[in-house]
Amino acid sequence: MGMEDDILKDFLAEAKENLELLDQQFVELEQDPENEELIKSIFRTIHTIKGTSGFFGFTTLEGIAHFAEDILSKLRDGIIKVNEDITTMLLQSVDYIKAIVAELEASGKEPVETEYLDFIVDLRNFAERIAKEASGETASSEEDEEGENAEQKEEQAVKEEVKEDAKSQEEQEDAQNKEDIKAVKPEEKAEEQPKEKSQAKSKTAKKAPARKPAPTTTHLTESHVRIDVHLLDQLMTLAGELVLSRNRLTQLANQLNDPEFLTANQRMSLVVTELQEQIMKTRMQPIGNVFNKFPRIVRDLAKTAEKKVQLRIEGAETELDRSIIESIKDPLTHMVRNSIDHGIEPPEIRVQKEKPPVGTLTMKAYHEGGQVIIEIVDDGAGIDPDKLRKKAVEKGLITEEQAEALSDREALMLIFQPGFSTAEKVTNISGRGVGMDVVKTNIEKLGGTVELLSEVNVGTTIKIKIPLTLAIIPALIVTSHGQRYAIPQVNLVELVHLNPKQMDKDVQKIGNSEFYRLRGEILPLIRLRNVLRLAEQDSNTLDEGMNIVVLNAGGHLFGLVVDSISDSEEIVVKPLGSHLKHIPVFAGTTLMGDGRVALILDVVGITSSAAAGDDSMKHGTVVSTKTVEDDHQFLLLCTIGPEEYFALPLALVNRLDKIKATDLEFVGGKEVIQYRGHSMPVIRLENYLPISPLPEQDEYHLIVFHMNHKDIAFLVSQIDDSLDLAIDVEEGTFKQDGILGSAIIKDRTTLFLDVYQIISMHDPDFFTQEELYAPVPARILLAEDSTFYRNLLSSYLTGAGYEVVEAEDGQKAWEIFQSDQFDLLITDIEMPRMNGFELTRKIRSEGGNKDIPIIAVTSLSGEENRQRGLEAGIDDYQAKLDRDQVLKAVADLLQKKTLETAA
Amino acid sequence: MTQTNETLPAVEKKGNVVEMAIADTSQFVTFYYDKHFFGLPIDDVIEINRTLDVTPVPMAPKYVSGVVNLRGQILTAIDLATRIGLLCKKQDQEDGKEYNNVIMGNREEPISLLVERIGDVMSIPTDKIEPPPDMIEGIDLKYVGQVCKLDNKLLIILNSKAIECTENKKQNG
Repeated sequence: MGMEDDILKDFLAEAKENLELLDQQFVELEQDPENEELIKSIFRTIHTIKGTSGFFGFTTLEGIAHFAEDILSKLRDGIIKVNEDITTMLLQSVDYIKAIVAELEASGKEPVETEYLDFIVDLRNFAERIAKEASGETASSEEDEEGENAEQKEEQAVKEEVKEDAKSQEEQEDAQNKEDIKAVKPEEKAEEQPKEKSQAKSKTAKKAPARKPAPTTTHLTESHVRIDVHLLDQLMTLAGELVLSRNRLTQLANQLNDPEFLTANQRMSLVVTELQEQIMKTRMQPIGNVFNKFPRIVRDLAKTAEKKVQLRIEGAETELDRSIIESIKDPLTHMVRNSIDHGIEPPEIRVQKEKPPVGTLTMKAYHEGGQVIIEIVDDGAGIDPDKLRKKAVEKGLITEEQAEALSDREALMLIFQPGFSTAEKVTNISGRGVGMDVVKTNIEKLGGTVELLSEVNVGTTIKIKIPLTLAIIPALIVTSHGQRYAIPQVNLVELVHLNPKQMDKDVQKIGNSEFYRLRGEILPLIRLRNVLRLAEQDSNTLDEGMNIVVLNAGGHLFGLVVDSISDSEEIVVKPLGSHLKHIPVFAGTTLMGDGRVALILDVVGITSSAAAGDDSMKHGTVVSTKTVEDDHQFLLLCTIGPEEYFALPLALVNRLDKIKATDLEFVGGKEVIQYRGHSMPVIRLENYLPISPLPEQDEYHLIVFHMNHKDIAFLVSQIDDSLDLAIDVEEGTFKQDGILGSAIIKDRTTLFLDVYQIISMHDPDFFTQEELYAPVPARILLAEDSTFYRNLLSSYLTGAGYEVVEAEDGQKAWEIFQSDQFDLLITDIEMPRMNGFELTRKIRSEGGNKDIPIIAVTSLSGEENRQRGLEAGIDDYQAKLDRDQVLKAVADLLQKKTLETAA
Repeated sequence: MTQTNETLPAVEKKGNVVEMAIADTSQFVTFYYDKHFFGLPIDDVIEINRTLDVTPVPMAPKYVSGVVNLRGQILTAIDLATRIGLLCKKQDQEDGKEYNNVIMGNREEPISLLVERIGDVMSIPTDKIEPPPDMIEGIDLKYVGQVCKLDNKLLIILNSKAIECTENKKQNG
């Protein structure tokens, strides 16, 4: 119950602060009427007051703020210009608002004097007149007089109307007041309670209760005080200094070796440590402090909007720096309002859409990769990127061509533009297009980012990432070249230590790349020393083996080779200075126990930096705005001869090896090699592709695949590198059997090998023994936007005997689906125009063949996606590159379907 | 960086000294690097610190020696010589030569300027302060605010804004 009190207190405190600022800003504005930032800032302040007073039901205050905002919005949009009249009127509004706020603070109620209502009327007339003047500027002078007359009349009418309004407002207020009493009472109670307690303590006080004038003293007994954060900062700095002095003292004590001094120093030492810890804690707060205010806000907002919303809060215990918590409160409120107002549909509509009538709004917080992530997820109507495009063009924010060029994701970001509002009409809750731009500015001020993901009719997710200036994360401390580095634990998968013997066996150094076979999987290795461009490790320490930290960088695993691995510690993240912020491999710094600094590694930054290599960084690799994140893939790059460049997905590769030319044998017309006790077929690519033949070399490189329980290898001249890339292949020029397409990688045209097809070309029977799940002849519709994957999937599906029809996105697939008959659908998740979830839902809800088995394929696996997929009606979920699994899933589903139809 | 002046607490005590001194002199913190003699306006300097441990930051711009821990605040340490283009024997640094830290700049993000030797705080009559000459050997003039000819040497008054500024991160990064 105390929540409303809290909010009211916060509101009043904030309002007072802002109002002081307003006075100053208005004066500045008069001097600098063109200053848009200033107008925007004033507008937001007033908007906040309006919103909050609406929430509390302070109608007079809301009224004044509303009309003032009206005027300001015209100023902001440049419809009118600041003049003395306007400033005077606005300043008056501020004065009235101040008076009301003062009254609210004193009595918890709005003043009821007619003075205020009169002012609302004046203000409204003024606002109308300004609006007319602005729109009527083009009107001819002849009409002027008449116009003025009419205007006056109208004004009169308005005045009456408003008075009525005001009256009804008054009535409403009365009603509200009655309700308010409920709200106000707890406040009184809250004030009384401590008083009662203190009274209970001393009986004398109980006997003479009148002696102490209660309300003022009770405030003083509160167990919490507001402290300026700067003061806390200072305290922390001083504590740091104390620690350093203590360290010095400890050194001296050890030198002097006086037992008494040592003991005294030891005791002080303890206290200092404790002190430092406690001071640190003062700044950390669970985000629950903010989240806890939302159940009520959501409930009330939902009620106003006549919607049913259920709020779920997760991760309320996540600790965040206090100052950040303060600053995210408003943005969060804005976003929650938006979600309820625009996102979640009214119950009737939800029922029509076959959703539960009660919408769900989830707020969650967690630490990830040294950042705090806050998500606001609703299962409402979602945001239609096309609508946004149209709106943005209408509002003149962008041109039509620009709108066309925007990807859906970019289009969604339009919502963060100032002056952009998606609501069809201006409503009380979300206002007129402030909101999202404010949210963005506020979060960017904290050095954070906002991301918006939305799917029409499924819902919207707003993801806020805030760097934690002070958040505490667990991290692993490693050493390289004598320096310590911290790796956020969230990225950590496992630690591997190899002795020199294992290194020889399982680590393969090929070209510039190294790989380690971790339980059969090929793990690219990145040496921290190379990434940081430090000197190579001494060869004698190399004899001690190798320390590999297996890390997960957004779905891919890689091994980071470090000199040594120390402890895991809780570290306090501190930002890097502006001179160093741009270095991608560092996420921040932290202080170690001994007072020295350690750098925090950015795991994703390391992969991109290592992938790009030293110099190739500038020659942008294959990056395309069209490719979605989901198409990132580790690629193996190899060459044949000096001029033929090839790439293939590293995930398909089982091993890499080197062989001597003399080891190659011809058996039965095919080339084979003795490999690990077996005779393994070896494929020369020039036999199947129109390329120059593999030149004679003393040593060749082998790329070994393990498929269908057999080994088979490609013979190449050189293995160059492995890269983590967004794949965007062009098929045109090089499309032929065995080639999936081409792309420019590191300034070279590189061909993407179709491994499955080449193997089939070499040995048509290679895959046939696996006919355990022999394909029933079937027609498969394949929806996939990436040319590379589409060709790959199509190739091995066709190879397995299926008929495949390709579609380059969900929309296309839907069109084909309606006009044709298929036995199975395989769809990518992330696609432009219509994604895999939407496509599935569409088919499941309205298709003629709505029971068709659907397999979703992705290059990333994630439990969240899987869950969403299952909810959308997807039957199975597979990794694109896992041919065997995909084929098995296809066969299983087809078989199941046949059984079902038979039954 | 721009709006910090307003948020600064009241002028430091040192500031009062300035006010009390005769109106037309300015005070400078001076220091040496190699054979050059430098000064910074006293208001731009927050404190002077003897040796702080510099933690190197790989891949940082050349002029950044690393980061230092100043009572829990982590500051970027900028090597004066490299920053202003002094041709200095770089190996000095690797030999573990000790540097003094001049903590300067704004309070939001101070930086630590590494210099060889700290000199005195000097009061200099304003009329003796001149714009820099067209050229000073071995120094990028962008970082020089003004100069002052002393009896036997030239005091180079540094432009602290230019030193703090991150603009050339691209060419070094």
